[in-house]
Parts: sequence; C-alpha cells; structure tokens
Amino acid sequence: MESSRSEGNSEGNRLTPVKIVVAGGFGVGKTTFVGAISEIEPLRSEAIITEASEGIDELDLGTSKTMTTVAMDFGRISLKHDLVLYLFGTPGQDRFHFMWNELARGAIGAVVLVDTRRIEACFAAIDFFEKRGTPFVVAVNTFHGRRLHGEQEVRGALQIAASVPILYCDARVRVDVQRVLVAVVEHALDRATSGAGVS
Amino acid sequence: MSVWDPPHLQVGSRIVRPYTMTGGRTEVGERAIALEALVVATAEGVRNRHRYRWESAEIITLSRKETAVIELAALLDVPIGVVKVLTGDLLDQGAVSITDPPATDTEGEGYTDLLNKVLDGIKSL
Repeated sequence: MESSRSEGNSEGNRLTPVKIVVAGGFGVGKTTFVGAISEIEPLRSEAIITEASEGIDELDLGTSKTMTTVAMDFGRISLKHDLVLYLFGTPGQDRFHFMWNELARGAIGAVVLVDTRRIEACFAAIDFFEKRGTPFVVAVNTFHGRRLHGEQEVRGALQIAASVPILYCDARVRVDVQRVLVAVVEHALDRATSGAGVS
Repeated sequence: MSVWDPPHLQVGSRIVRPYTMTGGRTEVGERAIALEALVVATAEGVRNRHRYRWESAEIITLSRKETAVIELAALLDVPIGVVKVLTGDLLDQGAVSITDPPATDTEGEGYTDLLNKVLDGIKSL
C-alpha cells in the first residue's frame, strides 16, 4: 500500500510542525524555560540508547555495551491555525551530546541558555550549533532578575560572533521567553535572507 | 481479523520489555521519522483499530488528533524508538499518515515565508 506522508503543510488543513531547541548545561533552567510558554505541562520522553560501558560492570556477560535511557523534556505551542511549535530541551549531561544531532535536525533555530555563574556549562552547546550551522541566540538566565555580568563580558567569555544575539531573560517569565523565541526566529530569518546555509 | 490477540501484558507499567513490542526491531530503516513529525490516524486506521495490539491501537486512538511522535512516546510512556517503529508499521498499513517537518532550506523562498509565519505566531501569543 502506498504510505501517506507529506512534508509541511502541503495538503488540506494539516498542521505543520516546527521546532526550536533549548540547550545549555545541566540545571540551567531549560525545562523551566519551556514550561513558561508551553500550552501543555512539559512532557518527558525517553530514548533507549546503547553506549559502551566504562568497564565498571561487576558482571561481564561478554558484551561491552549497556542500555541507558536518556530523557528529553518538551513543550508545545500552537501558532495560528496551521502551525505548531515544539520546544525541545536537550539532555543536560555531556555524554548524551550525540542525541543533539537528532534534536537539531530540522530545527529552525536554538536557544543556548546560560547561567553566568557556570558559564562553561554552555560551551559544548555553542560549539555544536556553530559547527552545525544552526542559527542560535544566547539567553542569559538572570535567576530573580540579577544581571551578574554585562553583555560584553558574556560575549567575551563565549567568544561568539557579533551577529549572535545575547539576551537576558528570567526563564520563569512568559514574556521573557517569548522575547527570546522572537529573537531566535528573527536571527534565523536574517541568516536565511543573507544566504547562510542551515544543514 | 485473523490476527490472534494475545493477553494484554500491562504495557503501561513496563512489565513488558519495551522492544518486545516491536518484535525486537529497533530501527525503521531508511525511513527517518522526526521527533516532531505529526501522526494522524486515517479513517481506515480508526475503523481497523481493534485489529492492532497494545501500543499500536493506542497510537491510533491518540492520533485521531494530530500528535507528534515525541508526544505519543510521552503519553504512552514508551521509548521514542518504539513509537517510531510502530508508527512506521502503521504508516505502511495505511492506518496513519505522517506530516514531516518542512525542510530548513534557506535557499527557498518558502522557508522565509514559513519563518515569517512562525515569527508572527510567536509575537501574537
């Protein structure tokens, strides 16, 4: 039987799914950020992955692989009648970075959420999106409204291009999150109209 | 109609090992299904729902309204890979159809239009 599969909104009143990835270090507030604007309580999905074990297994059953589950939190926002935006929080732990490829594929852009007290926790995310060519913005989570570091200081520490927007936000506050998402899409538009590729 | 339906094994509470639901298959082959791809049951799928077992029947029920693969995994409390395999089977059998996300093709004018729509949508939340 011919299987029915379509891309985007090419038939009838079908919804078109789009996504934005929210990355950053463990505990930086990704799920809070997603929950502040999602129309559903953020849900958690698990993927089962196989990874090489570290050689600490007491029981060696002749295999060097172990099964691990990795959890991803996500939210959903209906935009207009025919668009639905999914927000994906990346798994925080470094050893799950390979999952980011699947998350980033097809994303219109990304948010790198930063806690300036542990700024190094976001380096991996920035490296990843830069290499992949995914448009991203940096959002400094101010946690209770305190700006501990100025924009130039943050930009200097992250060594990012001048074209990458840096914003401050309180990840618990809906309008702040909305402003960050607007910045992501505007940045993606700039990139698209200036001809820079997204893979 | 001739499919033998074995006794239900409390899948929701994970008494069954997850990939036994897929006959041990963990890949969907070349058919990559995105996490945010939207699944919707066809009329045929709804009509034949009783022929499917366990999660497949639940996928049909949940996807009467367009529902993303990752949402199905969360709602059914099964791993994403399992939902992908089962959804791929349902697609082959005409029980669901899938809307893939649009290509992020920066060359295309359509992509700029899409981004503008998304931007308007977020601004007017």
